[in-house]
This record gives sequence, C-alpha cells and structure tokens, in this order.
Amino acid sequence: MYAIETNSLSKIYSTSFGKKKVNALSEVSLKIPPGTIFGLLGPNGAGKTTFVKLLLGITYPTFGSGLLLNEPISNYNIKRKIGYLPENHRYPSYLKGREVLKFFGRLSGMAGKDLEIKIDELLETVDLSKWGNSKVKTYSKGMMQRLGLAQSLINDPDLIFLDEPTDGVDPIGRKEIRDILIELKSKSKTILLNSHLLSEVEMITDRVGILNKGKLLREGSVKELTEKKEEYNIRLSDKDIDINKFINQNVTLIKNSDGSLSVKVDDVRSLNLLIDSFRKDGILIQEIELQKTSLEEMFITLINEADKESL
Amino acid sequence: MIKNIWLITLFTLREAMARKVFLFFAAISVVALLGLTLVFSVIGMDTFVDIANQTGSKGVLREVVTSIQFMIINPLTGLCLLLAIFSSASFVPNMMEKGNIDLLLSKPISRDQLLLGKFFGGILVVFVNVLFLVIGTWIIVSLKFSYWNFSFLYVSITVTFAFAVLYSIIVLLGIATRGSILGMMIAYFIFILLSPLLYAYFTEFRSIVENDTLKSFLDGLYYIVPKTSELTGIITLNLAAGKGVTEYQPIITSLIFLILIISFSIYLFRKKDF
Repeated sequence: MYAIETNSLSKIYSTSFGKKKVNALSEVSLKIPPGTIFGLLGPNGAGKTTFVKLLLGITYPTFGSGLLLNEPISNYNIKRKIGYLPENHRYPSYLKGREVLKFFGRLSGMAGKDLEIKIDELLETVDLSKWGNSKVKTYSKGMMQRLGLAQSLINDPDLIFLDEPTDGVDPIGRKEIRDILIELKSKSKTILLNSHLLSEVEMITDRVGILNKGKLLREGSVKELTEKKEEYNIRLSDKDIDINKFINQNVTLIKNSDGSLSVKVDDVRSLNLLIDSFRKDGILIQEIELQKTSLEEMFITLINEADKESL
Repeated sequence: MIKNIWLITLFTLREAMARKVFLFFAAISVVALLGLTLVFSVIGMDTFVDIANQTGSKGVLREVVTSIQFMIINPLTGLCLLLAIFSSASFVPNMMEKGNIDLLLSKPISRDQLLLGKFFGGILVVFVNVLFLVIGTWIIVSLKFSYWNFSFLYVSITVTFAFAVLYSIIVLLGIATRGSILGMMIAYFIFILLSPLLYAYFTEFRSIVENDTLKSFLDGLYYIVPKTSELTGIITLNLAAGKGVTEYQPIITSLIFLILIISFSIYLFRKKDF
C-alpha cells in the first residue's frame, strides 16, 4: 500500500471560452510509500499546488486517477486521516487561534475533551500557547503559518500536505518546523512538502519529485538525484604529483586548491585503471568520494534543460 | 451528514454575528421595542382597549390587536429583509475565496453539506433576528391589551421563508459569479419591485390586459417569480389574524422555486474547480 498513488493524473484548464487550453498537470504518476517525507519541487506555475488540489478533491482531474491511503481521491471520508496546510491560507479574522483549531477539529470529526487536549498540545508544539486566546487578526505572518501547521495536525493525520509551510517564518521558526516534521516522520506519518526553499527540502526529505510546466521531470531519493555519475574526488598522500602523467582520453584530472583531485572518468573501469597507475607509482590513496551536486544546482540545471528542450 | 451541516450552519451564524450589520439590526429592534413600550405607556390606550372589550367579541379584539401588531412589525421586517439581503450576500463568495475554500474542502465534509450549511446558516441568522423582533412586539402588545394572539408568532416563519427564497438566488449567483453584487441586485429587484408589481398585476390589472401574448407572458412570470410580496403581506396578515392560509399557491410556487434554485446551486458547486 502507498500513502499516495497517482496514475496519469492530469489537469487541463480551459480559458477564453474553451479556445485556449493550459496543461496544468500532464500525466503525473507517482507512488509515495508511507512514512516518507516527499518534497515536490518546481518553479512557480509548475503544477505543484494543482497536484495537491487534485488529490484533495479541491479541483477535479481532467483524466487519470489517484489513491490516498488506498482509497480513491473522490472519497471525502478519507480526509479524516489527512491534514492540509494550503499556501496563503485564510482564517476568519474574528476567530481566536484556539477557535480556529476547534472549528477545523470539529469538521474533522473530533469533539469534547479529546479535542481540547489536542488543541492545548498543538498550541504548545507550535509555540502559540500564549496566543491561543488572541484573535487571529493580531497574528504576524509567521504566527499564522504556525497556526496553519497546528490546524493541519489537529486530527492526528496519517498523511499531511504542506504547501510552503515555512513561508514568512523566521530562521528559528523554520528550524522548529523542520524539527516538528522530523518528529512526525518518526511517528510514521507521510508528508508531502511543496517548497521553494530547496536547501530546506534537501535537509528533511527522503524523496523528491521535480515538476516543470505540469510534467514530472525527475523523481527519486535526494541522494540519487544529487550524485554526479563518473565524477570523483580523490585525496592522495602526495599532493605534489604531476597530474599530466595520468591524464588520457578516458580520464580528466583537475587539481583542487586543497590539493585533492577532481576526476572525471568514462566508466568505473577507467577509474580502476587510474587507481592502479597511482599504486604503481607508489602514491597512496587516502579517500575516494563520489562527487555530489546540491539539490539547488541539480534543480536549476534540470529546469534549464527542460526549458531548452521545449523551445 | 446532519452534524456537518449543523456545524457549518452554526459557523455561519458566528460569521454573521461578527458583522456589524446584524448588530445594527439587533440595535434597531431593541430601540423599536423600547419605543413601542414608551408609546404605550405615554399614550392612553385604555379607551381603545375598553371599546374593544365592550363589544364582548374576541374577534374584534383580535382584529384590533393583530392590526396594531402588523402595523408595527411590517415595516420592521421589511427593513430586516433589506439588511439581511445586504449582509448575507457575501456568505457564499467569502466561503469560496482562495485559501478558505481549500481548507474547507480538505476536511471530511462533502460539497453538498458545505453549501447546505451555508444556506441554512443564512436562514438561521435571519430567523433569530426576526424572532427576537416578533416575540418582543408580541409580548408588549399582548401585555397592553391583555390578549395573547399566538397566531402572530407565525410572522417569524413567513418572513424567514420569504428571505430563504431570496437567499437561494443570492447563493446561486454567488456560486456562479463568485461575487455578491449580482445576487444582491436581483434579490432587491424581486423583493422591492418585481414581486409587488406582479402581485398588483395578478390581483388588480390582469382583467384589463387585452393582449393574450402579454397576458400569457405576465401570467408565466407571476408563477415563476417568488412571491415575496404575498408571503410578507397578505399571507402573513391572514396567519397573524388567525385566519390560517387562505391561498396556498404563492407558498407552493415559491417553495418549488427555492428547491429548484438550491438544487441547481448544489449541482454547480459540485462541478466547480477551486
């Protein structure tokens, strides 16, 4: 069973009386296992929010299907086990923080003392205990975001959708939210995270999907996506070797400022031949590491490539 | 299902109470009731009461009491409906605003329940306001004349029903346009102009219209358009006077109109992408 499973999920919006069609999401098929923090990345207008809205029944798919916790997305009762923090969420300004949580808790099927206890617990978790009885119109952007996070957790959901959860939150608040998400993961909760802050996503997600213009470009673990194939960093005992001696048509070597070598090889066999050459010359190898790119770097490269292809 | 509808209904009532216009109307009601008490205590009504009692007929006393009650309540409920249309027009468009509707639809509540909750919420708000006014007037007048005309309490139901019919139009146009202006304009147009004119046509001028096509058109229009004029006028007056419902047609046709419009609103709301 997957927490989220989609099959060719697509959304086409018609504008100008149906003359112009916009592919907001094109045949996205994803399988997200339970207990995963999944980061959905993409530039503005990539289809991230549309994807979430389709799963939650806020918007209807043009074609394709989806399952949430093994139930069809059209079954609204499954939402008892789901939490959602939308981007730019709005709460009635006349309500107090505690009342917001109470209302959405009751809508999620909770009531009585259990709900009151849960509200206290969540206000404490998001550091709003002192503000629970203040009207939300007095809240700052960061406080609203923390209240939104508490609201998304009010029904103790198994699956949580968070759209830009750290938007407007200061660095300390962001760290606190990250900690909450990691704690939720330890409780086997599944989290789908939409965010522009790639460094943050990199820190906490297990897997990421990259969307651009409604299409899923890549999907995999952060490790898989950030590894540079056939590029290594080698640290040698002798930093003054003549690298030209080891360069050939299959191997490119660059000496880094710290004395280590950046190696680009055609395949693993070429790497092994290079290692053999070092050993033959009596050069000791201290460390070999597969080179990595940052998620941000990989993301930008991928989006640029996709944009070039579509031109 | 009922629990969810009730929850949204109560939440709508809470939303209405947070708006100044309902407080404004509650204040007007209080002032009107205080004014009525003052008038009754200053102006000697005893002669009036004695004459009514001397006839020995409960019917005359009832006529007198009902007429006074109706004279007081009719303009106030009219004002109540005008304010109610203005204030409730934004309930549905507000609910459909980005960031609000997303949250509501992410919860285990169906779209039908959500919309019905908003609809009943609007009706409950007006019912509470009208009931306060009607009961207040009823108690003051009944105490003064020592005659308790329980039939007068029906006013709260007929006026609320008239509002419900108008509110169904506001709900439908709120969904279709995501705004409150058109719904409000149409509701005012029907309540202030169209319904009274069609009622006048049907009761007074129908016989003088000679053109058959025009007559058929106006007849059709009369039966289609909700009869708020009759609901808040003659039907309310007859009920308050204890005469019961003498003409069911305006109630039935208005009820059919309400059911059709709300059904179509639910259909539209179900299909909508947010």
